Amino acid sequence: MNLDSIIGTFLAESRELLQQMEDALLQIEQSPDDPELINAIFRAAHTIKGSSGLFGYDAIVAFTHVAESVLDRVRAGEVRFDSELIALMLQVGDHLGGLIDWLADGHDLADVSVETRATDAELITCLKRYLEEAPTAATAPQAAESDHTEARTASGETASHHWHLSLRFGADTLRSGMDPTSFLRYMATFGTVAHVEPVLEHLPALDKLDPEACYIGLELAFVSDADQATIDGTFEFVRDESSIEIIPPHSPLTAFASLLQLRQDEGDEQLQRLLRCGSLTEAEWLQLQTPAVVAESDTTSMSTFGSDDAKSDFPTLAAGNTSPASVATTDNAKAAKAGKEAQRGGGDSNLIRVDAAKLDQLINLVGELIIAGANTRMLAQRSGMLEMNESAETLSRLVEEVRDSALTLRMVQIGATFNRFQRVVRDVSKELGKDIVLQVSGGETELDKTVVEKIGDPLTHLVRNAMDHGIEPAEQRLANGKSAQGVVRLNAYHEAGGIVIEVSDDGGGLNPQKIMAKAVQRGLASEGQPLSDKEIFNLIFEPGFSTADQISNLSGRGVGMDVVKRNITALRGTVELDSKLGQGTCVRIRLPLTLAIIDGFLISVGQASYVVPLDMVEECIELPGKGLENQEFLDLRGDVLPFIRLRQLFADDSTPPRRENVVVVRYAGIRAGLVVDQLLGEFQTVIKPLGKVFAQVPALSGFTILGSGAVALILDIPGLLAQVTHNDNRAGLASSQLNQVNHLRSNAQ
Amino acid sequence: MAKTILIVDDSASIRQVVGMTLKNAGYDVIEGVDGKDALRKLDGRKVHLIISDVNMPVMDGITFLKNVKQLPAYKFTPVIMLTTEAGDAKKAEGQAAGAKAWVVKPFQPAQMLTAVSKLILP
Repeated sequence: MNLDSIIGTFLAESRELLQQMEDALLQIEQSPDDPELINAIFRAAHTIKGSSGLFGYDAIVAFTHVAESVLDRVRAGEVRFDSELIALMLQVGDHLGGLIDWLADGHDLADVSVETRATDAELITCLKRYLEEAPTAATAPQAAESDHTEARTASGETASHHWHLSLRFGADTLRSGMDPTSFLRYMATFGTVAHVEPVLEHLPALDKLDPEACYIGLELAFVSDADQATIDGTFEFVRDESSIEIIPPHSPLTAFASLLQLRQDEGDEQLQRLLRCGSLTEAEWLQLQTPAVVAESDTTSMSTFGSDDAKSDFPTLAAGNTSPASVATTDNAKAAKAGKEAQRGGGDSNLIRVDAAKLDQLINLVGELIIAGANTRMLAQRSGMLEMNESAETLSRLVEEVRDSALTLRMVQIGATFNRFQRVVRDVSKELGKDIVLQVSGGETELDKTVVEKIGDPLTHLVRNAMDHGIEPAEQRLANGKSAQGVVRLNAYHEAGGIVIEVSDDGGGLNPQKIMAKAVQRGLASEGQPLSDKEIFNLIFEPGFSTADQISNLSGRGVGMDVVKRNITALRGTVELDSKLGQGTCVRIRLPLTLAIIDGFLISVGQASYVVPLDMVEECIELPGKGLENQEFLDLRGDVLPFIRLRQLFADDSTPPRRENVVVVRYAGIRAGLVVDQLLGEFQTVIKPLGKVFAQVPALSGFTILGSGAVALILDIPGLLAQVTHNDNRAGLASSQLNQVNHLRSNAQ
Repeated sequence: MAKTILIVDDSASIRQVVGMTLKNAGYDVIEGVDGKDALRKLDGRKVHLIISDVNMPVMDGITFLKNVKQLPAYKFTPVIMLTTEAGDAKKAEGQAAGAKAWVVKPFQPAQMLTAVSKLILP
């Protein structure tokens, strides 16, 4: 494992955090003082800063640091989230997202464009405005700490070549998990401990001894080339409550004088220890005793070695246990808070990240498994062995379960996609100067990840369209008796093996006359053509159609809706539009749950097999024998059921069997019958796409391979139903398409 | 036997980088994504050092610390807390709860290794 392999994690994590930050920022607009939301935003910035520091992305660290400081002030209640700050933070998020993308593309942060640098600087300037009254004391103590080379007065240096360390550990040292010997071991990694003198005077009598407290002190002679900061750093975790004195080699005698002064309570023992360590010689001690030097030592501060606490006495035992009551109350508050967060966060710890490509591979393998399983099952049936048959049945049931679980792995909730639109709606409504709110429902509806990824663009277009063309200006809304605030709704729900996504608005609705006029003008319809309102509305999806009198920046270039339709068709979905003049518009997108494997219903006509998606099959009936030869409708328990003869549709010239069957299918509220020869039952269908040559064939959506190795064509039910409703192409497919279909079929057999 | 270190941080990248650095230095590493998860991971097993972030969802580092310190098995286990320069109030609270070792984020992997070596060597 190396650092590069982790960068992917960093990038994904940062993107996710930025998304969370954005979500929280958008929510906070409604509840500006929610501490949980503020904390979430802060945490996102905090974590990005922390992890980018690990990877050495200093530019991100520097930038995020400023944002984090502002957020910290918000957390402390010194600054409040107003719309201005929210907007600024959203920009901060965007900028960070840009930097992350830049890294993801394999660039170096040092090579960012001039514009990016400008944005960076500009945002920092804006952010710093929120920091202006902030206390700037943070850097001061550090400066003092490193300033340790001060007075090394030349009056008589010691002869010792080693460092002398005088350590008195705080009583809480052991309780804090610190082991004094661990410091010695660490020091041994960059030097040699030449001599150790234990200090045991502080050890109390046995009956007063607290076994958990630390009473020990050490005097050390240490030989090392390391600098003072390194040696000093050894004790950084205990310095606050311990007394740590470090005297460099050849220090002035006064340093030892101060040390003895400091360890006064240990009396003569301490001097003896210094002498035994060889840090101080007898001669030097005598020299020290001359009054002049002692006097000087009184004024020389020992705090040259940094620690302010150095002068304090040995820490008392009481210092550790400060007010247990107050600790307990904050504990309770924390617990309540943690519970709340757990609800909100929803057990993220049980999730694992998997490379999407691995899932795709799994799905593909499951597909192959299904085909192989179908083959086994067929052979088992043919063999007539009862046990073999049973075993094959069990196998195919298990394969079916494996398929279902494999498919659910790729299912994601559409909520995340929906929530992204909060931002779109917010930004666009500001741009348009309209007051529009987005209402989201059905976010928990799940669908295939690939579908979710591809639905974003069409949805964006539809939402923008609804805001731009759908929602009227506030004055007009008020005049029409509506509230000034416009509403755009995103909704999702399951229906017949598919998912329906609705984008609706409570705006002005579509005017059929206006659309018709435009369509005629554009040559998409002819004057006086009898079209229902719904048909007229769907003209909007024709290429090159735009009703906006003025082309705005957002939408209305007339390239939108047909692209939307094309994208959705590419996902084997359909799109339709409902509108009531003055009341609003609703665009309904229907998508299949998954793109890879479906439960199919196998039927045959002549020699050929076809698959109908099982979710769309309502029932199967026998075709009433007589009197329907030239009919296109039959009587289904009193209802009119239009039907299509597949034999006729695919120009199959084999003789029909004596009894034909009708498969009743339903899609998007329309019901129709398919007349077929035989019903072969349920069949797990691995969808294989048709080649480009067949892409334009309207009645087919793909093919699959049967257990026998033969090819079955998958019928495109929405396409077929459209034919029924339009009542146009009933005579059959165009001859060129027919040839293609027949060609495909003969190739397969 | 290699000494075991528990890393608690909600950021997967920090866990991975710190984990990798420590593993390369010869420590065994276990990871927790938040305080609650970390408590579950501890489960009485011998851990020589705990590194914990302060700001985490579900259970934050300070609460985690207080919980750990109440478990007899970990009473004397050293804890390194990760903090930012912005977290002074938290730091005071953490110190009161018994966390003396603090490493300021953002840090370089080598800095973390140094801090760890001061408390335990592999």
